[in-house]
Amino acid sequence: MRWKNIRLIFTREVRDQLRDRRTLFMVAVLPILLYPALGLGMVQMMLLFNVQARTVVVLGADDLPTAPQLRLIQKGNFNARYFESPSEVSTLQVIADEESTKSLKQKDQLKRILANEADIRGLVSQIRELGELKDTWLEENPESGDHFPQQSQIQKLKNDLADLTVGADVVLLIPEGFGDRIHELNQKIAARESTELDSNDRPYVIKNSADEKSMVAARRVRGILDRWEEAVLEQRLVEASLPKSLPQPVNPIQVDLAEDKQRSAFVWSQFFPAILVIMAVTGAFYPAVDLAAGEKERGTMETLLISPAARGEIVIGKFLTVLLFSMSTALLNLASMGFTSRYMASVAQNGMLEKVGNLAPPSAAAIVWMIVLLIPLASLFSALCLSLATFARSTKEGQYYLTPLLLVTMGLTVFCLSPGIEISPLHVFLPIVGVALLLKEVLADPTSTLAITYALPVLLGSVGYSLLALWWAIEQFSKETVLFREAERFDLRLWLRHLFRDKEATPSFVEAFCCFGLIMMLQFFSMQFMQQAALASAQDPTGIRGLQLLLIQQVALVATPALLMGVMFTTDFRRTFRLRMPSWSVLGVAAILPFFLHPLVKEIMTLLDPFFPPLPPGVIRAMQTMSSDQQPLWLLLLAFAVAPAICEEIAFRGFILSGLSRSRRVGLAMALSAIAFGMMHMIPQQVFYASLMGLVLGLIAFRGGSLLPPIVFHFLFNALNVVITRYATSEPVVATLESPVMKWFFQTGEDGITYRWPLLMLAAVGATIGIGWLISKRSDPRAMPVVTDPYAADSTTKPMERSALGVS
Amino acid sequence: MIHVQNLTKRFNDPSAKVNAVDGVSFDVRPGEIFGLLGPNGAGKTTCLRILSTVLRPSGGLAEVAGYNVATNPADVRANIGFLSGNTGIYDRMTAFEMVEYFGRLYGLDEETLKERINTIFDTLQIHDFSDVLGSKMSTGMKQKVSIARTIIHDPPVLIFDEPTLGLDILVARNVLNQIAMLREQGKCIIFSTHIMREVEKLCDRIAIIHRGRILAMGTKEELEEQHHEQDVEELFFDLITEHDRAKALTE
Repeated sequence: MRWKNIRLIFTREVRDQLRDRRTLFMVAVLPILLYPALGLGMVQMMLLFNVQARTVVVLGADDLPTAPQLRLIQKGNFNARYFESPSEVSTLQVIADEESTKSLKQKDQLKRILANEADIRGLVSQIRELGELKDTWLEENPESGDHFPQQSQIQKLKNDLADLTVGADVVLLIPEGFGDRIHELNQKIAARESTELDSNDRPYVIKNSADEKSMVAARRVRGILDRWEEAVLEQRLVEASLPKSLPQPVNPIQVDLAEDKQRSAFVWSQFFPAILVIMAVTGAFYPAVDLAAGEKERGTMETLLISPAARGEIVIGKFLTVLLFSMSTALLNLASMGFTSRYMASVAQNGMLEKVGNLAPPSAAAIVWMIVLLIPLASLFSALCLSLATFARSTKEGQYYLTPLLLVTMGLTVFCLSPGIEISPLHVFLPIVGVALLLKEVLADPTSTLAITYALPVLLGSVGYSLLALWWAIEQFSKETVLFREAERFDLRLWLRHLFRDKEATPSFVEAFCCFGLIMMLQFFSMQFMQQAALASAQDPTGIRGLQLLLIQQVALVATPALLMGVMFTTDFRRTFRLRMPSWSVLGVAAILPFFLHPLVKEIMTLLDPFFPPLPPGVIRAMQTMSSDQQPLWLLLLAFAVAPAICEEIAFRGFILSGLSRSRRVGLAMALSAIAFGMMHMIPQQVFYASLMGLVLGLIAFRGGSLLPPIVFHFLFNALNVVITRYATSEPVVATLESPVMKWFFQTGEDGITYRWPLLMLAAVGATIGIGWLISKRSDPRAMPVVTDPYAADSTTKPMERSALGVS
Repeated sequence: MIHVQNLTKRFNDPSAKVNAVDGVSFDVRPGEIFGLLGPNGAGKTTCLRILSTVLRPSGGLAEVAGYNVATNPADVRANIGFLSGNTGIYDRMTAFEMVEYFGRLYGLDEETLKERINTIFDTLQIHDFSDVLGSKMSTGMKQKVSIARTIIHDPPVLIFDEPTLGLDILVARNVLNQIAMLREQGKCIIFSTHIMREVEKLCDRIAIIHRGRILAMGTKEELEEQHHEQDVEELFFDLITEHDRAKALTE
């Protein structure tokens, strides 16, 4: 790796991108212009919105209370003091008499409403009566649903009312003598006369909730009436010489401890992580497509490939360019958005941003945090985008990959931003999620201890992911099939024919992935069914039905798909599933190794326990079944050891591993199959340790050349678990383990049987020797897939060294 | 300088029934132009791509300037200049920047680089448009810049894969003259084309390649003598139909 070449390529690519107007627009111009433009647009929308007044027809305005302090309508409008802010008076146009309709364009309609006051009153009271009838009827016939016999009549009345009130957004109907009655009631209360206080003659607000304009007006009218009602009540209390606080006997006072700064920090922490993540993706994507797919498309890829720069140097040069653009896009967007929203907040003091107060900029510490965290985040996206873009044949194809990438990223970010999600040990090592959560944390409080604890693991994790992605990008760049991908015509019929007719001995890489996908899908879709079945079996005290379920799940959802795919898509069934005699030494090691590994894994899992969320109740129940002595031991072993050993090995070390090892890269195949094996276990704890076990199982499968050693290992490992859990409370066993010699190795207690350190040491030594021996051993050639490429399989025709040909 | 022995390339594509390059052997000496003549899809480009280390060989040996393409690709790349229809120039770079960039990638120091650029721009008459962006150049200008890019580091071995493709007769003639001049400087040159006249005019030795195999090889005179055919075009046509007929019979 020569730094000079990387720098040369980097500077060239940056200059190239800067000369590209599209990239410049995306990276710099758009963020700088977009947010202020959006802000401006918002202000204008608000202005437009304010100008449009809604018409409210008030019928019976003369019957409103006339006392000056309770005047609802003043100078042809609602009284300004009952609006949230006095400036909103003009948002409602009150029509109380013909006089006020003059200047309006729908004056004929409004006049008709005013003229039909009596009809409207009649209709309203009919609707109310029918409504009351309906309520009592519903109470009497609770099971009948919503089928009130006179429903159609109600609807007809409502339609008539709607016809009568056309032209008004809201009609406010004041009952006759309303103001006088209020006055009268006040006096009676003041005189402490007992009286019928409640009356059915209440005002009506007639609105149409299917019409947005009517809803807006109704909401405003309601706010006004609420405040007016408070005033009426207050007046009543004053007249009756009662305390104003009478209607609010509790009336708590809220004390907000947050300072302005913290409040704005909270606002930033809600928005910035999302913007940062999304913009880092977009900022990486377009340059990456241009740099990789674009280079292919414009025919300069080969020019670069024949230069002395190595593939790794080219990729890193390009990667750094993409990284630069990704980071600048993210930061520019952030800065522009921050400044705009701050400005908007200070301009619109009394609008919806009022609660935010004066938005203080994030503290310097928070900004440093953001930049530090952005580097690995942007690296991950840059490398990922570069890989995808290298794979694409053209820029057009490259663009297609943006949507899935963006969707996945957005899904993860939305998850992180949902309230209540806090960073936890489990999230630390998830890509994107860890960084986004940490960002949320530090933006809210840069000195948070939580943030400082998790900073290093998150950084390490994301640097690891970035390196992996970068490695993948270099891989892509070194593949002839990727660099010189021809435009292939996709024909479903031809493809299917190829799939079934030109079957190969062992499954292909893609088929292995599909098998894994199929198993995961089956698990996902059977989840609901399994849950119901598990609930049903919970009533069964023996737990036998639960065990049956487990068995069915293993056979039907894990082994069967793999076996079916094996029959359908491969010609060499025995080779695919490694059905042959094993290497006896490997079989021996596979039979001993579980006894060493089990104590170690158990210990590691206990140590790591705080990192994982608590187990779901279903799993705990299954584990209780394991330790209950209701079932015979053989049944437990069958469900928890034999079935998983055979079924999971058929699928994962059989079909999937055979397919994954087609590229003849044993390490990669083992790692991928181990991850797949882990992922199938769903629960974080099990995902972790199943992945570890998957590595060992893969190694055993390769070295043994047969499926038998992994099955034996898998069975013994699970069986140990079953036996230990089962006899943890059995008196004779506990007594034996507490004997003087055994006490050195085992510990019995409330957590069941655990191992002591001398045994752990022994196990560590044994496991190291066993695994070391396996690693040092050569893979059984029969474990390798058949390769159709004659030159790769036959070493004599491989690219020759000079000496091999005898040419000097 | 170039030593190719039993070179084979098979693509990892289930639909490909034959090898793209199938047991090709030849040698090219310094000061010689070796012509690779074959129809479209004969395997010329694949063969030359292996020599330029862009593709890896499936079998056989290929050495360029003493380095094995499979084991020392970096050294090979440093010692060749490669020009083909697929080695375009950057749209958003000027002629000068383009040549300068590749000169630096080849590790030339600034002084040598400046000198080389000057000389090459003189001979190829690039000075007039050295500040023009690639996207604004005509096909002929682009080809000139490509040649300048190919020879900037003064490599001992030059590979030209159909360098006159899509050029008008004037520019094509110019390109051929340049290649002839490079032979005078003692370069070892491979020149592939499907145009007979170019081969006749330029090449010291000719190999006729079809379906990944070399059907005949030698100087023009040798070929004419061996196959009793005065006209290269006729010779070429005869060889290919004969090969296809033989192949059809065996199947």
